Amino acid sequence: MVEAFFSGILYVFLFITLYLEVFFLITFFEERLALQEKPHRTKLPHYPSVTIIVPCWNEEKTVTGTIHSLLDLNYPKEKLKIFIVDDGSTDSTWEVIQKFAHEPQVALIHKENGGKHTAVNLGIEKTNTDLIGCLDADSFVEKNALIEIAHAFNEDPSMMAATPVLIVHNPKTILQKMQKTEYHTGAFLKRMLSPLDAINVTPGPFSIFRKEVFEKIGLYKKAHNTEDMEFALRMQAHHLRIRNVHTAHVHTSTPGTLYKLYRQRLRWAYGTMKNTLDYRFMLFRREYGILGTITLPLSFFGVFIFLYNFGFIAFHAIQSIIEKIIEISTAGFIFALPRFDIFFFNTDFMAILAYIFIGLALVIIWNGTKLAEGRFRPSLSIFYFLVFYGMVAPLWFCRAIINIILSKGTKWR
Amino acid sequence: MRAKIDTKKYMLAFVVTALVFFGALLISNRFSQKRIEEIKSIENNIALDILASETQFALLKESSCRTVDHRTAFSEELNNLAQKLSYTEENLGDKNKEVIDLKKYYSLLQVKDYLLVGKINEKCGIKPITIMYFYSNAGDCDDCKREGYVLTKLREEFPEIRIYSFDYNLDLSVVKTMKSIYGIKNTLPALVIWDEAYYGFKSPEDIEKIIPQLKKFRAAQEKEKNATNTSTQ
Repeated sequence: MVEAFFSGILYVFLFITLYLEVFFLITFFEERLALQEKPHRTKLPHYPSVTIIVPCWNEEKTVTGTIHSLLDLNYPKEKLKIFIVDDGSTDSTWEVIQKFAHEPQVALIHKENGGKHTAVNLGIEKTNTDLIGCLDADSFVEKNALIEIAHAFNEDPSMMAATPVLIVHNPKTILQKMQKTEYHTGAFLKRMLSPLDAINVTPGPFSIFRKEVFEKIGLYKKAHNTEDMEFALRMQAHHLRIRNVHTAHVHTSTPGTLYKLYRQRLRWAYGTMKNTLDYRFMLFRREYGILGTITLPLSFFGVFIFLYNFGFIAFHAIQSIIEKIIEISTAGFIFALPRFDIFFFNTDFMAILAYIFIGLALVIIWNGTKLAEGRFRPSLSIFYFLVFYGMVAPLWFCRAIINIILSKGTKWR
Repeated sequence: MRAKIDTKKYMLAFVVTALVFFGALLISNRFSQKRIEEIKSIENNIALDILASETQFALLKESSCRTVDHRTAFSEELNNLAQKLSYTEENLGDKNKEVIDLKKYYSLLQVKDYLLVGKINEKCGIKPITIMYFYSNAGDCDDCKREGYVLTKLREEFPEIRIYSFDYNLDLSVVKTMKSIYGIKNTLPALVIWDEAYYGFKSPEDIEKIIPQLKKFRAAQEKEKNATNTSTQ
């Protein structure tokens, strides 16, 4: 009876999850022609002026590569300003960036530490270009990223912000490889949310805005250490269009250890839920379209659905392990090669649903990889993502819920 | 201007999801049905084999002792059937009517095999080791699962042992008769070894004490293994 009750809830959650996957795949089918567009532009009829702000706080190791990637952009130099804002670094970031002082495009700004958003705001206040963007000091743009985004702005006057496809930079550890595939799925989902006007974050790595956006809705403000999400939600609340430009690629550094990943994801998960609560007036409201009916409910309730599904699977996995331990302790370990008999192939309802979910996940990974890398290549990253993500994500989701209940914030690092 | 909610798309996604969801349910049921059919087919084959063996035994009398190896006949088939039945019971639940019917038929086949083994024992002078195991999965037998592990291991280690397992609560006259013949009380798990009933959990060591021949079997197995290793060197 109790088992049937919990299974019933699980079936409802699985139905909702399946519904969302189907919804995104239908969108993918609608968008399939637009997705065939490959990065190819080398010239534009009109180059909007652009400022890219690079906020730095203790980024001595990566900031040089970030600035070099900006200087190498395929974009007219007179149209591109680069503001490097040192937000009171305590390492040698300020000294490291001095080597770019002679670059006519580059302006070096030093300020007291006040948080990333204050550094970006300072840059925004100091510029008057058509487009203003931000690039985290641990990210690197591809040569054509800006020209692709500028082209998208030229083509769509209603577009107020553009986000690129994010790719994991130089993944080395298993966790980074796992994140590589996670980012690929993220690329797919962001691209699907784009035509639905349902993007809920303009990430730090290379989101670009029309200057009118800041004039209309103001600058970044402190928002649970996820200011880029708050800003996107504020834009959405004002019905300002955010688009994903899948032909613009940006590489970003990711945490290599479980603890660093946990800190980052806790900040993201907590910030996502808190910002969604702050903008709860958009939840389930038709006037906010898919954002109000799918993205925001998913951002908040999705965490609970994920944890419930995980709990159910974990409970049964632990039960099986305990049974196996009892079996071995009772009858001893029997070494026997498993005999393959199709009869014992699991085909109960839950197993078939699991096969369907894995199949759909692979379709999403396949297409996300194609968006990010141009073509699909099977790799161990996919295996790591499918096997490990479900095991580690509950760590930060559980803690995020606890922090919300206890009204306890998160730290940047 | 924000992209509007396309109600048709929401509906289409809902219909596709419902189709996939209930399609999975139908496929799962179809596979379960196929499993039941397979078990039925195995049971029918075993029934036919037992009947053939009984007939052969009746025709040949004592000479069948030389022509047919009765020591391990049907043992493997019954083990295989037991595994499949147990797997199906786990998936469909012990309340499922078809599972109960399959269990009844399986119990009948076991009794028939037990009787045939008895006849062989009498005519051919072979004394096969038989263990009758009475269990319950109604939640009133904490040690039945553990006893099951022990007997599964014994079955795999010693194919010569014939283990017959009966659901104590199965509503089948033959099982009730067996219970009354051996006076099995509701103190499960219960094992009947050479007409004597043992109650409570019995470890492999306990069973080896009751059946000292198992040590001989193991020694013979090891000897055979060593001989094989020597001949391959």
